[in-house]
Amino acid sequence: MASISRTWWGQEFIEAMQEFADPGRLQRGRSYSSDHRILKFDIKHGQVSATVRGNINPYFGVHKEPKYRVSIELTPIPSEDWPKIVQHLSSKAGSVAKLLLNEVPDGIEDSFTGLDYSLLPTGFDDFQSQCSCPDWSRPCKHIAGVCYHLSKRIDRDPFLLFELRGLDREDFRAELLKFPLGKALASELGAQYDVQPQPETSLFSRPILQTVAEQAGADTNAIAGSLDPKEFWQGATRIPKVQDSDAPAVIPGILIKKQGDYPVFWEKDKSFIKVMEELYCRVRQQTKGLF
Amino acid sequence: MKILHGTWIPCPTEDFVQMGEFCLWVEDSQKKRPRKPSHRHPYQLDAAALLEFLGQTLGLNNAYGHLPGHIAPKSFVLPSSDKQPLPSPELMRYWELDWPDQTELQVWEVDCYSVRATVKLRAGESSSIIAPIALLSDLHFIARHQLADVQFGSDLLFWYRYSQSLKQVILKDRYIPALKYRELPQPRKKSKKPSQKSLTKAALQKAALQQQAAQQESPFELYPTWEIVSEQYESNLQRYVEYMPAICTAGHAASNSGNSSSAQRHSAKKSSAKQNSANSKTLHLWERQSLLRHFSEVAIEDIVTHAVRTRAFENAIAGTLLGLCFKPKQQRHPLREPRFLDLYRQWLEWRQKLARTQTKASFYLGFQLDDPGDADADWDLFFAVIDRQEPSYRVLLADYWCMEANERAMVRERFGADFEQQTLVQLGYAARMYPTLWTALDRTAPFGMTLTLEQAFEFLTEFAWVLEDAGFKAIVPGWWTPSGRRRAKLKLRPKDKQSSSKSETKSYFSADRLADYEYQLAIGDEAVNEEEWRQLLEAQTPLVLFRGEWVELDASKMRELLEFWQSQPPEAELSLLDVVKMEAQQDGDIELDTSRDRALADLMASLRDPSKLQIQPNPERLQGTLREYQQRGLSWLSYLESLGLNGCLADDMGLGKTIQVIARLVQERDERAGQPETDSQQETNNQQETDEQDTIDPVLPTLLIVPTSVVGNWKRELEKFAPHLRVAIHHGSDRNQDKTAFRRLYDEYDVIITSFTLARKDSKLLSAVEWHRLVLDEAQNIKNPKTAQTKAILKLNARHRLALTGTPVENRLLDLWSIFNFLNPGFLGKQAQFRKTFEIPIQRNNDVRQSSTLKKLVEPFILRRMKTDRNIIKDLPDKVEQKIYCNLTKEQAALYQSVVKQITGELEQAEGMSRRGLILSSLTKLKQICNHPRQFLQDGSDFTTQRSHKLDRLSEMVSEVISEGESLLIFTQFTELGEAIEQFLKHNLSMNTYYLHGGTPRKKRETMIAEFQEPVTEPSAFVLSLKAGGVGITLTKANHVFHFDRWWNPAVEDQATDRAFRIGQTKNVFVHKFVSIGTLEERIDEMIEDKKKLAGVVVGTDESWLTELDNASFQKLIALNSSAVI
Repeated sequence: MASISRTWWGQEFIEAMQEFADPGRLQRGRSYSSDHRILKFDIKHGQVSATVRGNINPYFGVHKEPKYRVSIELTPIPSEDWPKIVQHLSSKAGSVAKLLLNEVPDGIEDSFTGLDYSLLPTGFDDFQSQCSCPDWSRPCKHIAGVCYHLSKRIDRDPFLLFELRGLDREDFRAELLKFPLGKALASELGAQYDVQPQPETSLFSRPILQTVAEQAGADTNAIAGSLDPKEFWQGATRIPKVQDSDAPAVIPGILIKKQGDYPVFWEKDKSFIKVMEELYCRVRQQTKGLF
Repeated sequence: MKILHGTWIPCPTEDFVQMGEFCLWVEDSQKKRPRKPSHRHPYQLDAAALLEFLGQTLGLNNAYGHLPGHIAPKSFVLPSSDKQPLPSPELMRYWELDWPDQTELQVWEVDCYSVRATVKLRAGESSSIIAPIALLSDLHFIARHQLADVQFGSDLLFWYRYSQSLKQVILKDRYIPALKYRELPQPRKKSKKPSQKSLTKAALQKAALQQQAAQQESPFELYPTWEIVSEQYESNLQRYVEYMPAICTAGHAASNSGNSSSAQRHSAKKSSAKQNSANSKTLHLWERQSLLRHFSEVAIEDIVTHAVRTRAFENAIAGTLLGLCFKPKQQRHPLREPRFLDLYRQWLEWRQKLARTQTKASFYLGFQLDDPGDADADWDLFFAVIDRQEPSYRVLLADYWCMEANERAMVRERFGADFEQQTLVQLGYAARMYPTLWTALDRTAPFGMTLTLEQAFEFLTEFAWVLEDAGFKAIVPGWWTPSGRRRAKLKLRPKDKQSSSKSETKSYFSADRLADYEYQLAIGDEAVNEEEWRQLLEAQTPLVLFRGEWVELDASKMRELLEFWQSQPPEAELSLLDVVKMEAQQDGDIELDTSRDRALADLMASLRDPSKLQIQPNPERLQGTLREYQQRGLSWLSYLESLGLNGCLADDMGLGKTIQVIARLVQERDERAGQPETDSQQETNNQQETDEQDTIDPVLPTLLIVPTSVVGNWKRELEKFAPHLRVAIHHGSDRNQDKTAFRRLYDEYDVIITSFTLARKDSKLLSAVEWHRLVLDEAQNIKNPKTAQTKAILKLNARHRLALTGTPVENRLLDLWSIFNFLNPGFLGKQAQFRKTFEIPIQRNNDVRQSSTLKKLVEPFILRRMKTDRNIIKDLPDKVEQKIYCNLTKEQAALYQSVVKQITGELEQAEGMSRRGLILSSLTKLKQICNHPRQFLQDGSDFTTQRSHKLDRLSEMVSEVISEGESLLIFTQFTELGEAIEQFLKHNLSMNTYYLHGGTPRKKRETMIAEFQEPVTEPSAFVLSLKAGGVGITLTKANHVFHFDRWWNPAVEDQATDRAFRIGQTKNVFVHKFVSIGTLEERIDEMIEDKKKLAGVVVGTDESWLTELDNASFQKLIALNSSAVI
C-alpha cells in the first residue's frame, strides 16, 4: 500500500501520531481517512473537528450506523513567542523561498528548538484528541483516520501546521511583514487563488463571426464600394519570412517545473515532473509526422 | 497552372466542443469562364479532378490516408464582379486580367479536401486526425521546389508561415494539461417533444429521466484538454493577425441555405454599390484573432493527444488528470461526477500559480561561475541581477547587500521597490530547478555559494542550460564557451621530420593524395603524448586543470580516440576533397591542423577566399582586357585546375563568365607556347606544373556543352576575344557523325562547341576521345541525374571539368547536387543521401546547421560574385553593354531565305515609290522572322522557344534576372511581339509583368509605372514598345535592359536604355542587345559599331535612308549566311 503522505513533513506528522499506536487500529484507521467515511471536516482556530461514520458493532452495543465526533488539537505555542520564531524564520532566504513554493523548509525546526518548541508534533502526547466512540484506546481508528486525512491536507498546505500550533494566517502575515524577506512570503500568503469554477462557453476559443463591415472596421459606410480585392486576398501587410529555430527545448518541461513537483491534483507516487518530461519528449519525438 | 488555396473552417455548431477543418482547394488556369450562372466557383478543380490532383500530382495518397471520404463542398465569401468570383491574384496575373473597378463580395461553393492524416497510436491502433501543419510544410516544399506549375496561393502562404511559428509550442513544451468547466443549463421543466417516432414512449421517458437525473446530479461537465501557455505564442498571435488576409477568414461550412445565398446574389443586381453595402452587413467573415486561436488550440490538442503511447506510459498516468487529457479525442469524455470538481479546483489553483511565475521582472537573475586557478580549490557561483533593457548593467548580490542604504535605494529604483522580494522569489524558482542552490539560501542575504569540482561540472553541463532555458542567465568562464572550449581530439598534422626539409622542395598537391600527415592526440590546440593522455584518463574528474587552463575530459571518448589512434597506420592518406570535408565538419573528433603546413594552409585559405590568390595578368593573346574581378576569376580557374580540382563559376549574369573561360583557354596555350626549359620561371609557375607537362604536348581540345540558344554566341565571343583559337561547332544535320571525320575535327581544333541535345545523341563520338576540359554552360541543365543526357555527359572523359551557371545554385539544392555530381562525383554523396542529409533538413525544415555545413563543403568549388558586391561595383562601369548573339532555327532560316528570294526577284522590277515600299516592308518581314516565326506568319501559331533561339535565350536570361531579385525592361519595335512576349513571361515563367505600348491609356500607363517602381512590388518584367516607352518615363527599378530587336539608330536605343539608366538608379545597369547571327540584324549591328562608316551616312530615326541603297548593296545587307543556322 502506498504511503499515506508523500511529503516528509506529512510523514513526520503521521509518525508522531502513530508513536505507540496499535498497528491493527492504524490499519483500520486508514480506511476511515476517505471522503466516504469523513462526513464533516473543519479546522477553526487551530482545532480540527470532524464527523466520522462508524460501523455497526453489536459487540459494543452499536446497532445503528453511528456517527462519531472527533476533535484534534496540537499543543499550541503561546502567542507571545511567535514573533521570535517568525523573526528567525525570516532570516533564512531558503526557508522563506521554500515556503513560498508551498514546501516546508528542511531546517524549519531550527526556528522552534531555540524556544523549546517544535512545529511538527514530536509524539502522540503532542496531540489533544477526543472521539465519541466507545473505544477507550487512543488514538482510536477514527482519530487515526482523521489524522491521515489531515496529513494529506498538510502535504498541500504546510501553513496549516502553523495554524494547528495556534498561529492563524492573518497573524502570521502580520508578523512576516516586519521583515524584508518575510514581506515576500506575506504577499504570497495573501495571494488569493480563486478556485471557483470558471465556466467556459466552449472547449476551444470560440471563433466569432462578424459581418464584412465589422471586420473592415467601425465605419460601415466607408466599406461600400471600397473593397480592395487584392488586399482581400493578400492582406494589408506582406508576411515577412521569419525563421524560427527548429531546435527543441534543451531541458524538457521548464514551464511546469516552476511550480514544483507533486501538484495537488497529482495523486501518484511517481514524480509528476518526471512523467511530464516523458510526455513532452514523447510528443516532440513521436509526432514527427504531424508538424 | 494550378494554384493551391486553403483555410481553416470551424464546424458550424454551437456545441461546447467545436472542431474545425483545414480545407484545401485548387484553382485551375485551364478553366473557362462559364456561360450559365451557377453558385459553384467556376475555376475550381471539382471533386473528381481535385481527388486526382491530390493523389496523382501531389502524391498525397500514402501519407494522408483515404482521400475520397474527405472531399466535400464548402462556401467561400469572395470578391466578385459581374456575377463571377474574381480569380485569385495569382490567377489574375496568369490570365493577365486587371482588377475591375467595381467589386462586391458574394458566396461561392468550392469543393475542398478536408485535411486528415492517419497516425498510429500504438501497435494495431491508429487514429485519424487533422494535420494541417505537416501538410502545409509538405505542400510548400512541393510547390516551391518540386512542381513548377503548382503555385501557393497567398491564403495558404499565410497559414504555412503561421503554422511554422506555432510549432514552437510543441518544440519548447509550452502547453499544459487542462480542464475546462462547462456549466450545464438548468433542466427545463417541459422537455421538448422528441421528433423521432420510432422510439417507444417508454424508451423516450426513460432517456429523458436519465438525462434529467444526470443533470440534476451534476450541473457541470469537465472537459480534459490541453492549454497553450506561452508569451511567445501570444505575441505571435498578435503579429500574425496583422498579416492575415481576409480570404483566410472567408471559408464556411457549406450552408444548406445555398439557395438563400444565391438568392442574395440575384436579388440585388441593380446597384452593385448598394449591394456591396448590403452584403457588407449580411455576409459574414471570421474575426481574425478568434479564428487563429481556434485553429491553434485544435491543432495543438490534436498533436499532443496523438503521440505514440506505450503500455508502461499509459499505466504511469492512468487515473490521473494527465491520463484523462492524454486520451485521443474519441476516447475522451466529459467528466460529470462531483468528485472531479475537487480535481478541477486543484488544477485551477496550480494553473493560476503557474501563471504568476510567468510575470516578468524588470531584471534577469544571473548565475556567474568563476573557476579557481588551483586544481584543488572550490569554485564560486555568484548571484547577480542584470538589467533586461541594458544587460551591461549588472549588480552582484554580494555587492548589493554591502551597499549603503542610498546605493541600495538606487538599485531598487531601477528594478522596482519589491526588488528584494522579487529576487528571492526568483531564487526560489531557480532552486526548484537547481536544488544545489538551497544551500546558498540558508541566510538572510543570499549572494552565492561555493561548488565542488563535480558540482561545477554539473552546473556547466546541465544546470546552466536549465537556468537559461527557464529565463535566467548563466555566465560561464570563457574556456567553456563554444569558441573558447578545448576538447580532447585527434589532430591530423604534417609529420614533424618532413615539415622542415621536404615541404620546401615539394610544394605541389594533387587532389588524390596528400601524404605526410599523421594523427596526433591533442587537447585543444596542444599536442599531448600518449603517456599524458593516459594520465588524464586516470584523473577520474570531468574537469582538469591542464597546463594552466581548465579542460573538460570525456573519458569514454578519450578511450575511443586512443584506440583509433593506435589502430592507425603512421601516415594518413588524404585527398584535398577529404580536407575540405573535414573542415566543413565543425565538431568532429578529428581535426585537421594545417597550422604547421604553410603550403596546405595557404592553399585552403585561397580556396575559401579567392581574393587571396595572386592576380594573374591579362593573357597576352586575349583580344580584350579583363576587368579586375575577371582576372581574379581567371586566377581562380587556373589555380583550381592546377590542383586537379573542378569548380563552378557562378557569377551573376552580365559579369562575363564567357570571357573568363575564354581567357583561361588563351592562357593555357600562351603558357605552353612560352614555356621555358626549366628553372627560371619555376617559382612563379609552379602552380601550373602538372604531371602532363613532362611531355610538351599541345593542349587537347576543350569541349563546350551549351544550350542550343547560345551556341552561336559562344562562337562569336571566341572569335572576338581569341581569334587565334580554332573553334568548331559540332551541331546540325551536316555535322561530322563519322568517327574518323570527328577525330579529324578533334585533332584540328582547340575548342569544339556542341549542345546538350547532341551531347546525348553523339555520346559515342564524344566519349571516344579524351578532352582537356569539359565546360558546361547553364550547368543546371543536368539537373535530372536519370536522363540520358545527364548520363551521357557524366560519361565523358576529361582532365578538367568546369560548370558555369548564373542562377543562385546555393538556393536550389538539387541543382547544386547535380553540378557537384558532375564536378566531383561522390563528394556530396548519392542523391538520396543528399536529400536526406541536406535537402529536406534545409528546405523543408529550415535546418540552419546543415545549411552552414553544406555551405562550407561547396564554398571552395564555387566562385560566385554578385553585381551588388562592393568590389565588383568598383570594377564595373555604371552601364555594361553586351551583345547576345543567337542563331536562327531551321524554320526561321527557311522563312528568311524564301523572303530574301522573293525580294530579289521583285526588286528588279520595282521602281520609285513601290521600290521604297518594297524595301521597307521586306526589312520588317525579315526582322519579324529573326524575332519569331509566329510574328512573321501572323497565324496565331505557338509562341514557343523551340522556334526561336532568341526567345529561348531571352527566357533563360529573364529568369535569371528575376531569380536574382531584380527587375528588367524589354524593348521591341513591334507591338504584336511585345504583347506575345509579355504573355509568354506571364504564363510560362509566372512572372509579374507590365506592358506598355502606344495604345495604352495614359491613366493605366501611370498606374503601371508607379506599381513597377514601388519598392514592395516583386521583381518584375516591363515590356515596352520602343516608340511608346522610349522617352519621358522613369523605370529605375530595373537594372537590366533587353533590346529584343535592333534599331538602326543607336541614339534611339540609348534613349530607351536611359529609362533605367538615369537619376535614381542605384545599381549598375546591364544592357543586353540581341543580334541574330548571319542576318541583317548582324549587318545592322556592324554598321552601328563601325562608327567611321556611320559618320558618313545620314542616319535618321527611321529606316528610310536604306531605300537609297542600290539593289546589290541591299541584297548584301539582307543576305543570309547559312552557316549561321542551327
